[in-house]
Amino acid sequence: MTATELSRRRFLLGATSLGSLPLLASCVGSGGGEAGAGQASATVTLQSSVQDTGPKAALEKIVAAYGGAGSPVTMNSVATEQFRAQLSTYLSSATPPDVLTWYAGSVANSYAAEGLLLDVSDMWTGDGACAGFSDALRSLSTSAGGQAIFVPTTYYWWSVFYKKSAFASWGIEPPTTWDGFIALCDQLKARGIHPLTNGIGTTPWMAAGWFDYLNLRINGADYHRALLAGERSFTDPEVVAVMEQYARLIPYFHPNQTSWDNQQAVTPMVNNEAAMYLVGAFATQYFPEDQRDDLDFFSVPTIDPAVPSAEEAPTDGYFAAARTDNPDGAKALLSHLASPQVQQEYITTSGTSNLPTSPQVDTSQFAPIVQKGIELLNSTSEITQFFNRDSSDALQTTADTALTRFLADPSDIPAQLRDWQAAAEQVFSS
Amino acid sequence: MTAVQDAPVRTGAPPRHGRRRRRVPPLVWAFLLLPLAVELFWVFWPAMNSFSLSFTEWNGVGAATPVGWENYERMLADPVFATAFRNNVIWVIGFGGLSVVGGLALAVALNRPGRGVGIYRSAIYLPMVISLAVTGLLWRVMYQPGGPIDSGLGAIGLGSLQQQWLANPDTALYAVLIAAVWRQVGYIMVLYLAGLKGCDPTLEEAAAVDGATAWQRFWRVVMPQLRGVNTVVFAVTVIDSLRTFDIVWAMTRGGPYNTTQLLSTYMFQQGFTLVNLGYGSALAW
Repeated sequence: MTATELSRRRFLLGATSLGSLPLLASCVGSGGGEAGAGQASATVTLQSSVQDTGPKAALEKIVAAYGGAGSPVTMNSVATEQFRAQLSTYLSSATPPDVLTWYAGSVANSYAAEGLLLDVSDMWTGDGACAGFSDALRSLSTSAGGQAIFVPTTYYWWSVFYKKSAFASWGIEPPTTWDGFIALCDQLKARGIHPLTNGIGTTPWMAAGWFDYLNLRINGADYHRALLAGERSFTDPEVVAVMEQYARLIPYFHPNQTSWDNQQAVTPMVNNEAAMYLVGAFATQYFPEDQRDDLDFFSVPTIDPAVPSAEEAPTDGYFAAARTDNPDGAKALLSHLASPQVQQEYITTSGTSNLPTSPQVDTSQFAPIVQKGIELLNSTSEITQFFNRDSSDALQTTADTALTRFLADPSDIPAQLRDWQAAAEQVFSS
Repeated sequence: MTAVQDAPVRTGAPPRHGRRRRRVPPLVWAFLLLPLAVELFWVFWPAMNSFSLSFTEWNGVGAATPVGWENYERMLADPVFATAFRNNVIWVIGFGGLSVVGGLALAVALNRPGRGVGIYRSAIYLPMVISLAVTGLLWRVMYQPGGPIDSGLGAIGLGSLQQQWLANPDTALYAVLIAAVWRQVGYIMVLYLAGLKGCDPTLEEAAAVDGATAWQRFWRVVMPQLRGVNTVVFAVTVIDSLRTFDIVWAMTRGGPYNTTQLLSTYMFQQGFTLVNLGYGSALAW
């Protein structure tokens, strides 16, 4: 028995000393920790933030069928919020996921500036998968250092969606002028129909959709970009003008918008209790299948004819981690995902109204509403993405607070804009 | 009448004076040091890290930039921090007070034999089995416009009280509070029931014979016997109310416009949603 006891003692003592060893490790936040990458692995990991049912299933199907370099691909689906929070950790870890879903624009560029994204410039030249993409997409996917760091695969447009059958039964036509739009809202409201719906409860960022569009229509895309980059102030008279127009719209929104998310917001439209919804084309999948063909859209009408036309077209896609131990496998998967056939398959099986980034995709088979979306974006002179993608998630949070407060009580616009500017300065200074 | 126990017969030798202090065997040291090491590594070391991070600015990538007291200065000037702090005070008082009063009342009411008491007790304790996140989702459905609460109010003729409970800044925090109390009250009830079972019924009988009212019996005879339980309940309630995070996050995420932000949710939002790890750490301290 003594021997057993002794060995147990030794074991415990040993365990104790081992347990205290990591205490000697360095503090977090001190940089360093550039662990050498291990052996090059033959497989590829895809970290996905895609959570909507249709697109998620479509992506899973595509990944399962993939047979190129690095296959079989391991796909991890992570809840979008968690993905957003952990993205920097994923990218800076010594063994990062190889390929990740995310957005083009400022977020991708800020990671590129940290040297965390794989240079995929060779995919944009010669016979690379992205070589034929438009110049707008090329500049969107290029970092400040001049390298291509993003592979866009789909994008979509924002517009005011409505149901053709509902408009026909109410005997109304989509408006072509801003005054016509306001008159239409008045007319609908007088008949007991909520002219507009929205979901700013758990998705408060939806309130920024109208802000973006009114700013684009009143002040133009250049001013909008400068404002979101911190070069202009939210207390500018230009922003006050936007808020005054926004305040005109408040009585037209369905009063339950503050409790809904952007998915629940389609319910009153499905039931013909609300008429119009400014939203991205992703929302078509929220409608029952038998109503999707009934959907149509019109662009937010011009307010100032002197301002060049502009539309919001957020671009989604993939980037690869700079520290991947299998860059060739990562690029092979990216090329596969960007190829015309896969883009087409993804869009048709996911049930969304996304647009393909590859000009080689045959869009003639796509639904008429998608064709109209392509036409809208081809004919506009300026393209922006969305508030958070043109600025940052941190600035979006300030917009969420400022705009939801404004929508609840628009009586003191100057004071609210001062608060917004103060919060925004905090973001820009950090 | 309780039997008086015989005094235990002392069998061992009387303690020797001036005995050499016994050496603590290495095994005991191991049992003390191992948990200490685990505690140091998993609790104190991260805490120290977070403290050092609170004097920096760090987004999780690269090296942190030291900024001195800037995060703390920012915190004092931050209106959301002030709201979160005030909400936390409301939360500790409201959540603690309501769940203790409710739990005690239920325990007293259900401490007497009667038909179906077991069912009531289980039913009231049942919410405790459900995780806070699920409780939050459940109550979000309850508070939906046109949901059970609004329909219930309409059905009993109180339609004028119908509102968007979680979207109205005046009601949102209290709506969340009620959901949290609904869950906690069963737990407090069980603690008090256990305490009441340990009370000596003969004391109450004696007081009743002496003419004490039910109120006096409860406050003067039963409550003093519950002192031990009260300490436990107090500790549990304060700990639970200070660490509240999940139910608020599941129900409102601190919205509408930060009016239901608690210190914990604001810290999480700053630290992990916006990845301001420096400011988030300052809030945590």
